[in-house]
Amino acid sequence: MIPEVVLEMKHIRKEFPGVVALEDVDFNLKRGEVHVLLGENGAGKSTLMKIVSGAYEKDEGEIRIEEENVEITSPGHAQELGIGIIYQEFILNPHLTVAENIFLGREPVLWPGVINQKKLNRDAREILNSLNVSIDPGQLAGTLGVAMQQMVEVARALSLNAKILIMDEPTAALASKEIEALFTTIRHLKSKGVGIIYISHRLEEIFEIGDRVTVLRDGRYVGTKAVHELTRHTMIRMMVDRDLDDQIPKVKADPGEVVLKAVGVSVSNRLKEISFELRKGEVLGIAGLMGAGRTRLARTLFGAEKIEHGHVYINGEEVELKSPKDAILAGIGLVTEDRKTEGLILELSVKQNISMPGIDKFVNFGILNLKKESRVADEYIRKLNIKTPTGNQPVIYLSGGNQQKVVLSKWLCSDVRIFIFDEPTRGIDVGAKTEIYQLMNQLTARGAAIIMISSEMPEILGMSDRILVMRDGRIAGELQGGEATQEKIMNYALGEPYEATA
Amino acid sequence: MLLTLLLSFAVQGCYKEEFPGNPTVALVVKTLNNPFFNDMQDGAEEMARKLELNLIVQAAEREIDVEQQVQIVENLIQRRVDAILLAPSGSREVIPVISKANQAGIPVIILDTRVDEELLRRDQAEVAAFIGSDNYEGGVIAATYVGEVLNGSGKVAILEGIPGHETADSRQRGFLDGISKFEGVTVVTSQTANWERSLGYNVFENILQSYPDLDAVFAASDLMALGAVEAIASSGRQQGEIVVVGFDAHQEAVEAVRNGSMHATIAQNPREIGQAGVEAASKLLNGEEVSEEITIDIGLVTQE
Amino acid sequence: MKLLPENISFDQIRQFGTFIGLILLCALFTLLSPYFLTASNLMNVAQQSAIIAVISVGMTFVIITAGIDLSVGSVLAFSGVVMASVLHAGLPLPVGILTGLAVGFACGLINGLLVTYGNIPPFIATLGMMSIARGAALWYTDGRPISGFEDSFRFLAHGDIFYIPVPVLIMIVVYALAHFVLRRTKMGRYTYAIGGNEKAARLSGVNIKFYLNIIYGTAGLLSALGAVMLTARLNSAQPVAGMMYELDAIAATVIGGTSLFGGKGSVIGTLIGALIIGVLRNGLNLLGVSSFIQQIVIGAVIIGAILLDTKLKQIKNS
Repeated sequence: MIPEVVLEMKHIRKEFPGVVALEDVDFNLKRGEVHVLLGENGAGKSTLMKIVSGAYEKDEGEIRIEEENVEITSPGHAQELGIGIIYQEFILNPHLTVAENIFLGREPVLWPGVINQKKLNRDAREILNSLNVSIDPGQLAGTLGVAMQQMVEVARALSLNAKILIMDEPTAALASKEIEALFTTIRHLKSKGVGIIYISHRLEEIFEIGDRVTVLRDGRYVGTKAVHELTRHTMIRMMVDRDLDDQIPKVKADPGEVVLKAVGVSVSNRLKEISFELRKGEVLGIAGLMGAGRTRLARTLFGAEKIEHGHVYINGEEVELKSPKDAILAGIGLVTEDRKTEGLILELSVKQNISMPGIDKFVNFGILNLKKESRVADEYIRKLNIKTPTGNQPVIYLSGGNQQKVVLSKWLCSDVRIFIFDEPTRGIDVGAKTEIYQLMNQLTARGAAIIMISSEMPEILGMSDRILVMRDGRIAGELQGGEATQEKIMNYALGEPYEATA
Repeated sequence: MLLTLLLSFAVQGCYKEEFPGNPTVALVVKTLNNPFFNDMQDGAEEMARKLELNLIVQAAEREIDVEQQVQIVENLIQRRVDAILLAPSGSREVIPVISKANQAGIPVIILDTRVDEELLRRDQAEVAAFIGSDNYEGGVIAATYVGEVLNGSGKVAILEGIPGHETADSRQRGFLDGISKFEGVTVVTSQTANWERSLGYNVFENILQSYPDLDAVFAASDLMALGAVEAIASSGRQQGEIVVVGFDAHQEAVEAVRNGSMHATIAQNPREIGQAGVEAASKLLNGEEVSEEITIDIGLVTQE
Repeated sequence: MKLLPENISFDQIRQFGTFIGLILLCALFTLLSPYFLTASNLMNVAQQSAIIAVISVGMTFVIITAGIDLSVGSVLAFSGVVMASVLHAGLPLPVGILTGLAVGFACGLINGLLVTYGNIPPFIATLGMMSIARGAALWYTDGRPISGFEDSFRFLAHGDIFYIPVPVLIMIVVYALAHFVLRRTKMGRYTYAIGGNEKAARLSGVNIKFYLNIIYGTAGLLSALGAVMLTARLNSAQPVAGMMYELDAIAATVIGGTSLFGGKGSVIGTLIGALIIGVLRNGLNLLGVSSFIQQIVIGAVIIGAILLDTKLKQIKNS
């Protein structure tokens, strides 16, 4: 008889130099439930999950799996104990096939050293079928889309007979249709008795898929409740301990003259004849599904990708954007989608990251004015409420929300006037989100212009003065802030003819 | 842990004075992974034991690394050895450090490879003695042998040592001068193989491609000659089809001469050079006169 | 557990550790040999280390950008023989030296261009240059060394200024400059940025190609400076000079705490690393340890330094 509670953690404590990441945290997981782990960024969710999956060792506390005390010593050990984890960043080997990825390190063999390819593919297909997904086991993992790669990850975990499955923001990179498919899979796993620990910032999803919620705040345990006992409001309160009535505090600014104008910008098959205008003081939202070309448009306007046809005008003058440096000189800044790989230099300090794009401010004849740099950086640390012991702390030690604030500081410090935000609040807690929205308000109030790419409807609807919806590398439609609704945006994004509802 | 490891190595490899109180002589050769210098070391050690002198033997990791050899000599000057026997890796490059030894009052005896006389004079540096074989004479002997075996006509290739190297130049000059007496014999090519066996193989393989009708090869060292022997074997030619003459009477080469894969080698006597070196140093330290130039006999080793 | 204060960076701890290692090593040799701790021997070690130390500065810059330069030894030889031939042609000293430095810079710049515009991995680009520059040096000289220079040139190796040997002085100036450039200039900052995260650096407006070219060029230039020092020292420019110097330079850099993955490191660490290698060779010579065992010890020290690195990191992260 399998016990009801598959995983129980008590009084877990974990400390990093300078930070207590977890303190007296309890958590338990039952068979066949989806237990949501909720908290702001830096609340300790990831650390807790890394302890469960064997990536970190706890300092104090106890862990029981199926009522037996265990010390999880390594990721391999966690696997043996039946713990599977689906990371936010996928770890599939793109050059191996789906089947090879699923059984990596455990390939069935004909005789020692020779893989039984037939059995490998057959077994892989069996697992994939049990998940109701149609992926060819022989396909290279690198050719799959994000959602399908995630399914392969799930299949891999199942092939290890996982009874505990950790999903860390599994929907972050998925489009709504893909999310539905994932939820179907999750329900299917539940029915098989797999306990799922689910981390997400999307509250709507929690109501749809979650059974119980445990909330962490600042590394401490706040409480565990059944989802049906909770409302959006109470959940947020548990997370931040303060009411967030006005989650999206948009202040409308009066759009001024055109600061950026794109005419017929095209990049092979990826961007087709993109034309639009951006005005001083406005937030131009760009919505669309994954792969619609939004990020590519951002990178192209920033000079990171070559414009093949078309023209870009800044303040009425045509500019050639051959490199990000050109774009920065023209007054454009890009807050990238992925701050860790593109936004920050993790080993460098908060200060050094902040000063990077606008470094010329601190340079005389090539020599840095370190005092001035420190002073200015400290100013941004204070203004943006970046939580760091000093400006000299390497950004690698900061939590996600604070890292994102460092990225924003970079561009504030460099005096750009046109900001391109690519998913500015992805993976960031509610409190920090609000701070970032307020910052956008301040920017527009001071006459900056913002292009904001976002996959989150409330964000797009709440913050944009105007919304462009992209589909297949084209602008499929434009909506004024007032008239936009989720339905209208979806219609453009999905490419169905818009019909006014009565 | 690291320190313990280091310490144990240092202690193990540490030189211990065999005859406490007696003078210490340093022998610095080009490298210790060449049997020629191993023999020289053996001879020197034998003589040092006999004369009750302490002997330190050092060499650079690589034969051509003069800078490291210079550093070793500098360090030995700091170590205040009583005399230095030096087989120079570069006949010009060691002169500044000879000056340094002079300033420290340490006599320097040069072994095997001559230093550049002109630069020596210009730097007002002094060498107490030179002890070595007459490499030029060795080259002439080799040439005479080749000329006679070929009956005065044929095509010959040369594998040179490191260019600019006094030993290499002398041997080559000796050979060229010697061979010029045989009008029917032509030197078709002369290429360097850097004293190395593997290069000897590669370079000679290429030479065989270009001159398939080659009759003989003179290699300025046995290691290169042995490389050439292997190249001949792998080209499918009969053993002895091409006359191979080496230099140094390396043990393996003598073996090769015995079994017929090589025709001859020029016998230097490195052991005797080592012995004579220590002997000369001892004489100097006792205040006796030493002749400026001591030549060690050279001879031809053939199957007879 | 908090073992280390937060305001000290890992690099500083690491550097301090290397320094302690150097001191312990010196203490050990002082104990074992009466000849080690004398003013003249210490100057001797400093002089012997100076050339590798100077070359290692270029290597450190390149390695901080997550690159590698295998051509430093060959570039040293090539720029050395070109300079020597110019001097032998009777041209004035500064012309000869500047020509040598220019050749070194040009070789380095070619490395840089191959890496940035040719998209060739640094390992391969500089491996090619290693062979090309060596071949060029041998071909240019017919394999023969160019020897015999005037005293004013040899002063660069054998002279003293205020009792400090000129090579040691050159080394000190190069390190002071390099430290300043790394810590206090835009170029230094960009060097770390490129090595830390090239993508992010580019998206922050860093002109990656330009700076990489400058950095590889500088590495070549410093190799040429090493050539000036070595040629003056041996009174001879050899086409076979500097063989395997790249390995000594990499060893000094790595012992000094610069990460081969880039983004981290310091020239002060490298200087200590170069001195550790120099002290080891000198001390083992003084003790009469055979050159074979010397190689084993030096290898063990390189591995030991990296082991220490990993251990320290674990302490810092726990």
